[in-house]
Amino acid sequence: MSGETRYATITPPAEAAASPTVGQGSQFVGLYARELLRTFRNPWVLVITIVQPFMWLAFFGNSFAAVPLSELEELLHIQIQSYIQFLLPGVLATSMLTVGMFGSMSTIQDKRFGYMKRILLTPTRRATIYLAKALGSASRGLVQIPVMIAAALVFGVRFNGDPLLWAAWVLSLALLGFGFSCMFLAVTSSSTDWQTPGVISNFITMPLMFASGALFPSVNFPEWMRVISEWNPVGYTALFGRGIVVQGVAHWDYLGYVAIFAALMVIVGTLVASRYLKAE
Amino acid sequence: MLADHSADAIWAHDLTKVYGKLTAVDHVDMEVPSGGVFGLLGPNGAGKTTIIKLLTGLTDLSDGAAVVAGYDVRKHPMQVKQRIGWVAAEVILDDDFSAIENLWLQAKLQRLPEWRPRAEQLLQYFDLTSREKDKVSTFSTGMRKKLEIALALLHQPSVIFMDEPTIGLDPGTRRMLWELITGVNREFGVTVLLTSHYIEEADALCNQIAIIDHGKFVATGSPSELKSKVRGDFIELDTTDRVTEAILGSIPGVSEVRTQGKTWVLRTTSAEEVLPRLLSHIDPKDIRRINVERPSLETVFLDLTGRKIDEDNGEVHDYRKFYATVRRARQ
Repeated sequence: MSGETRYATITPPAEAAASPTVGQGSQFVGLYARELLRTFRNPWVLVITIVQPFMWLAFFGNSFAAVPLSELEELLHIQIQSYIQFLLPGVLATSMLTVGMFGSMSTIQDKRFGYMKRILLTPTRRATIYLAKALGSASRGLVQIPVMIAAALVFGVRFNGDPLLWAAWVLSLALLGFGFSCMFLAVTSSSTDWQTPGVISNFITMPLMFASGALFPSVNFPEWMRVISEWNPVGYTALFGRGIVVQGVAHWDYLGYVAIFAALMVIVGTLVASRYLKAE
Repeated sequence: MLADHSADAIWAHDLTKVYGKLTAVDHVDMEVPSGGVFGLLGPNGAGKTTIIKLLTGLTDLSDGAAVVAGYDVRKHPMQVKQRIGWVAAEVILDDDFSAIENLWLQAKLQRLPEWRPRAEQLLQYFDLTSREKDKVSTFSTGMRKKLEIALALLHQPSVIFMDEPTIGLDPGTRRMLWELITGVNREFGVTVLLTSHYIEEADALCNQIAIIDHGKFVATGSPSELKSKVRGDFIELDTTDRVTEAILGSIPGVSEVRTQGKTWVLRTTSAEEVLPRLLSHIDPKDIRRINVERPSLETVFLDLTGRKIDEDNGEVHDYRKFYATVRRARQ
């Protein structure tokens, strides 16, 4: 027992019979449900999630209200009913940029309150925690979609496209939100500072929002901004949605690009988090 | 001859954790037989919490090996975690959830499909049934602590780790928890490893104690074994400057004179015999305070390390302040 007692040979006690790998499904369901409940039980979280993109439509969407539609169409290089119709897919894509921040904040809160230790002292892998958090914050972003569409209808927008295409549009937004959630969580997996997610969000939102076709078409961009927009998943999601909403046409290659982005983020992020996700 | 350790709840050899230049746990060997209450007693910063982190797989071992609940902590951490329970010093629950939801979440994390009957039984045992649907943020500290122990017992672990189980609690709640810990150990047949820097807590609860200082075990044994290691009593004395080490050392029955801050610490064969002699050797006017320390775990620690456990820095004296800090961190 003590340091004084040394056995001639130190042999650890025989291990119990090797048991199979511990599954992760139950833990994932529990953690994902926890994220959803925490989000949707807080009325303010819901209000802010919904109000913020709504304000985009109300304020930004009406900025060109006095401009004749023909001039606007010339500037935007597309036939539209109103700027709000053009903007809606872009705003929804842009708002997926920030949902990742909430997953990061909830993870940091768990570290600071010690709850991460409680989770890690059960047979739960870091990757499981990571995926539950990422999916949790992406799900939170999806709440905005029906609200925004309803808001756009209120503003008088009429949409094209059949239900199947709309489902594909929602899928593209879900993939984008999931991809950014994965990215955020990976970057902050070793952080315990409340401020980090906000700082990162501020840092990436501006370039990714404006250097995309989300708010204005990229044909009017200078060359360097167009280079960013060609790599920017926000832009592809916005263009994919716009094709469906405005023209009733799906550019499947854009969806493919967003899917690749999400897949890449989840693979890299899971690897990073299973190594660097801190307990406290 | 090799001892058979397979019945041990915890076995560790050369357990070591190094953080940069600090060796928090320094080649510790330990064997905790199944069924008892084992205490790690030592001042704050001695390495008690780090030992728990190492044995539960929360942090990686820098050196050594550990087998907990039948599985190697390094090789099979998931299997270890399925068989251990954990009670945090600072009471960690999800405050946004009710008691039953906290239990549900714990059941999910421990992969228990049939958790409800066990959860109801535990809520009843801990007298929380009437509050099971209330958010835990409305619970008193004692209730939160009870719920945390219920979470730790939900999956019927073979070992339960309790880090400073009564830190910051008022004396009444502390007594209640002592009874609960003893009851849990007896009625649920679970091995308990607890850390404490409260002497009386370790004395009251543990069958086996390891006294730890600077990351090393300085003594191990049952409380009575440890106390019997200390020969005689200690007398603490605050005096004026007129009293010197030479005077004190010359008193028959005083075997050693030490100082701790401005206090003299005399090791004596027997306090009853030495006290009258002391008063005849020194002018009572020169004595400001006398305190006799009977053989206790405190004197064991004093004897082995030359310090008292609770005189260490970082001791939480003000519980209100402690909880204010915890609350601030939660906001």
